[in-house]
Amino acid sequence: MTTTSMDTMTAMPDAASDERVATKRRLPKLGVTFGVLWLGTLIFLAVFADFMPFIRGYGQSLDGATNTRFGPGIDFWFGSDTLGRDVFARCIYGARTSLTIASASILVGTVVGGTLGMVAGYFKGWVDRVISIFTDSLLALPAIIIASLLVGRFDVLADSDIKFLGFGFGWMSRTWSVTIVFSLLSIAPVARIVRAQTLSLSQREYVLAARSLGASTRRVLWREIVPNVIPALTAVIFTGIAILLAAEGGLAFLGYSVPRPPSWGSMIADDRDKIEEAWWTSIFPCFMLFFTVLAFNLIGDRLARRFDIREAAL
Amino acid sequence: MRYLLQRFVQFLIVFVVVTFIVLAATRIGSSDPLRDLAGGQVNQERLEEVAADYPYLDKPLVIQYGYWMTDIVTGDWGYSYYQSQSVMDMFKQRAPATFFIVFWALVIGLLIALPVGIYSAYRRDRIFDKATSLSTFATISMPSLVVAVLLLYAVAARTDLFPTVGGSNYVAPWDNPYEHFKNFFLPALTLGVGIGGVWSRLLRADMVLTLQSDFVTLAKAKGISPMRILWVHALRASVLSLITSVALQLGALISGSIIAEQFFGPRGLGDRLVFAIQQNDLLTLQAIAVVIVAVVVVANLAVDLLYAVVDPRIRAARALT
Amino acid sequence: MSADRLSVRHDDGEPLLQVAELRTHFRTPRGMVRAVDGVTFTLERGKALGVVGESGSGKTVLARTVMGLLPKRNVNTSGSVRFGGVEMLGLPQRQMRELWGTEMAMVFQDPMSSLNPLMKVGKQITEPLRFHMGMGKSDSIATAERLLRDVRIPEPRRRLNQYPHELSGGMRQRVMIAIALACGPNLLFADEPTTALDVTVQSQILDLIAEQRRDRNMAVILVTHDLGVVANYTDEIAVMYAGRLVEKAPTRTLFSNMKMPYTKALLRSIPKLNLPSHTRLDTIPGRPPDLVHPPRGCRFAPRCANARDRCTEEEPPLLAADSDDHTYACWYPVGSPEYREREEQLKRLDDRRVLAAEEAG
Ligand SMILES: Nc1ncnc2c1ncn2[C@@H]1O[C@H](COP(=O)(O)OP(=O)(O)OP(=O)(O)O)[C@@H](O)[C@H]1O
Ligand code: SF4
Ligand SMILES: [Mg+2]
Repeated sequence: MTTTSMDTMTAMPDAASDERVATKRRLPKLGVTFGVLWLGTLIFLAVFADFMPFIRGYGQSLDGATNTRFGPGIDFWFGSDTLGRDVFARCIYGARTSLTIASASILVGTVVGGTLGMVAGYFKGWVDRVISIFTDSLLALPAIIIASLLVGRFDVLADSDIKFLGFGFGWMSRTWSVTIVFSLLSIAPVARIVRAQTLSLSQREYVLAARSLGASTRRVLWREIVPNVIPALTAVIFTGIAILLAAEGGLAFLGYSVPRPPSWGSMIADDRDKIEEAWWTSIFPCFMLFFTVLAFNLIGDRLARRFDIREAAL
Repeated sequence: MRYLLQRFVQFLIVFVVVTFIVLAATRIGSSDPLRDLAGGQVNQERLEEVAADYPYLDKPLVIQYGYWMTDIVTGDWGYSYYQSQSVMDMFKQRAPATFFIVFWALVIGLLIALPVGIYSAYRRDRIFDKATSLSTFATISMPSLVVAVLLLYAVAARTDLFPTVGGSNYVAPWDNPYEHFKNFFLPALTLGVGIGGVWSRLLRADMVLTLQSDFVTLAKAKGISPMRILWVHALRASVLSLITSVALQLGALISGSIIAEQFFGPRGLGDRLVFAIQQNDLLTLQAIAVVIVAVVVVANLAVDLLYAVVDPRIRAARALT
Repeated sequence: MSADRLSVRHDDGEPLLQVAELRTHFRTPRGMVRAVDGVTFTLERGKALGVVGESGSGKTVLARTVMGLLPKRNVNTSGSVRFGGVEMLGLPQRQMRELWGTEMAMVFQDPMSSLNPLMKVGKQITEPLRFHMGMGKSDSIATAERLLRDVRIPEPRRRLNQYPHELSGGMRQRVMIAIALACGPNLLFADEPTTALDVTVQSQILDLIAEQRRDRNMAVILVTHDLGVVANYTDEIAVMYAGRLVEKAPTRTLFSNMKMPYTKALLRSIPKLNLPSHTRLDTIPGRPPDLVHPPRGCRFAPRCANARDRCTEEEPPLLAADSDDHTYACWYPVGSPEYREREEQLKRLDDRRVLAAEEAG
């Protein structure tokens, strides 16, 4: 299912390309433009937050503000929270936390899952069966539950003096443990998609030809399969980040994400019962979360259409 | 039959692997599972008591798994020393709330997906399709946490119709349907909106393809009404991905129920689970995981059966093997 | 079904179907595909018209446009389709629905993909009966059984409870014909009804359609790319090329006196009985023209052995031949001096080649 060139000689535009033309119009370019702009700005602010004069510290209470005294306004764009901290600043630092975790995890997940999927799809047989059982099991795990359980256990592990191969686990901060857990959880969906892609690719004529000409397995994988799987992976990465961001929100809400610097989820969790007096404390982090997930989804969706992969059951 | 047997064995393996992973996860960083089970800071006497009930806790994990699974299968789900309650009793008390949240979320999801998916495929690229395409895209990008906050802000905090933060309680529908609705509507909607968006898009995509097929044109050429063509002819041929997704999402819905329960109540398994994780209440944790995974596995098997119900060709093909 | 009930007339003065200057253009990313480009013909009650043309010449699009079955999106239609005196083009779907099944029906090319795979055969036949004729359950089942018997399906009662995949290809096509006949239409479109079938079954199906046509005094439009098929089953033949009618004549006249070089080429490309008939016939050299940018002048010119300069410059008009009911669009028709001259040349060329071959061998 690669892109069929539109300039083929046949007079008959097939149903698939007809479909593509139609769907192209469904989400106008506007969406992707928004996605790129939003992410660009957010990432820029998050990276350089420390040097921005208009972004306060995330932990510092505002002068004279010990509670939610400030609503959104000129001075405090998103208002101040229960402890008198600047909600805007916290939203930006929240982006830093959430984006770092999500993108680091998806990268690990993509590399591991991609390799597994490719191996399963290419070699088939028992290798495929073993890997499939592994991925099926990972997929059957209730994600939020296992994530909070693992993060909770990793906390205990970090505090304990247990050693593994001589190494302790003191280094395992929340950032580490959440990233590890999310990496684990993103392996299976990626592996599934890549497996399906590899299966269909390895039936392609040029791959069969290369194999029959005696090209080594490694060569076929690297030269024929990998380059053709990568487009699909770009879409998976964006959509995956969107999903992980949402998951991180849920995890934070349950108290199992990174508390400092704050993440959007923990901001929402902390202040949700103040919604009647101070809506800004939870609505703004909600918007940040929503628009960021939306931005990743918009880009991921465009890439998926571009490279013709179906909305996968991630 | 052989096909189903194969699938069953496959799922059985998945079930064992997953429950084992959960068991193993509860042991991470814990040098003394016995103490975790007994309730943390307890005296020696209590520890010995627990050790007498669960003598296998110092054995290797695989052995522990064997003992524990035997218990589960024989209906002895263990005891939560933290809650001073047997796990089975806890289930009887908590499961209904979670069940209804998930059930109504499913219903809401399907109530959104069926009309939206069908009609937007039928009127492809028209205004309805464009509008719903945009809004379903928005809802699938909206984590349930965000939906919950928005519902809280827009509905619960402004009207007296629904209980606000954490105020929902379990009321059985047969006791008081109206109260049941009041208590379950917001949590179910929290989960139902997003899932409805996902399913709408799935169904629309399949419907669009089905509507281009010859048999739909033939049905049209028979002069049957569009409603009948859509709901009888085309829908049935387009539901396979949808029901697959329903089964796939079931596990996610049950665990997503944690958030809905924490946010609005009623307190069900999810709420229990939060504490169980904090306390590393081994048997409670493991039992809840078993139930969720079992539901997912059974749902997947049910989908396999449903495939055959929906499509006689699949039925025929399976009968041959 | 209410106040604005259509008044389709079935008195004898009015021809059943009058198609005039019909155009169907698809808007595609490549540009406008002129699939049907100015087609005119008339069909009398109870007559059979054959529409012949190679693959891609627009036969299916023509049939679907006349019947109003094309989806509206990305389609431009113009011209006129009068059925029983009523203009059908632009009629709302709601009104078309009253005609579909009862006045006009269609048998599709591929019986496998055209029957609903998920619905029992019986239900697919009773559906229009109940919908249009308001029949009850038992009535409609009895009628369906009778219909299946009419189309010569053995054990009709049992078939009602089977799914399409449980039937053979020929049987499926018979079911499709039964569905089409269910509400007693006055016009039946048969779009390559035998292309997907075994050669042995083909003539049975065609015989069946012919028989039903006689019994019901039903007009038939038989679409095919096989001139041999239409020879025995039609009163009149219309030949299509690149969206246009290029020759039209009563069947006998056409075969005795065909004017278009294209028709002649089609005749030569009649499939051999032992070939599976749905293999695409490419015996006419060259490929069908691009319908977005059709060739200037005669559209067949790039592939016509008889083409001269005029052919590529001026489009030949539809002219009457010896009799009024025979029309064709060609500058140098079969039998004209220019045609003979070219034929001679080709023959000499051929002879020379044969000679050369003999000498060499
Ligand atoms: N929906 C569509 N969009 C664009 N072009 C189309 C569409 N449907 C048909 N066409 C084009 O119209 C032309 C005529 O197609 P049509 O199916 O009528 O040919 P046909 O004569 O029935 O051929 P066959 O013998 O293969 O059935 C083809 O070139 C086809 O590419
Ligand atoms: S007009 Fe010319 S090119 Fe066209 S069919 Fe006649 S002879 Fe051939
Ligand atoms: Mg055709």
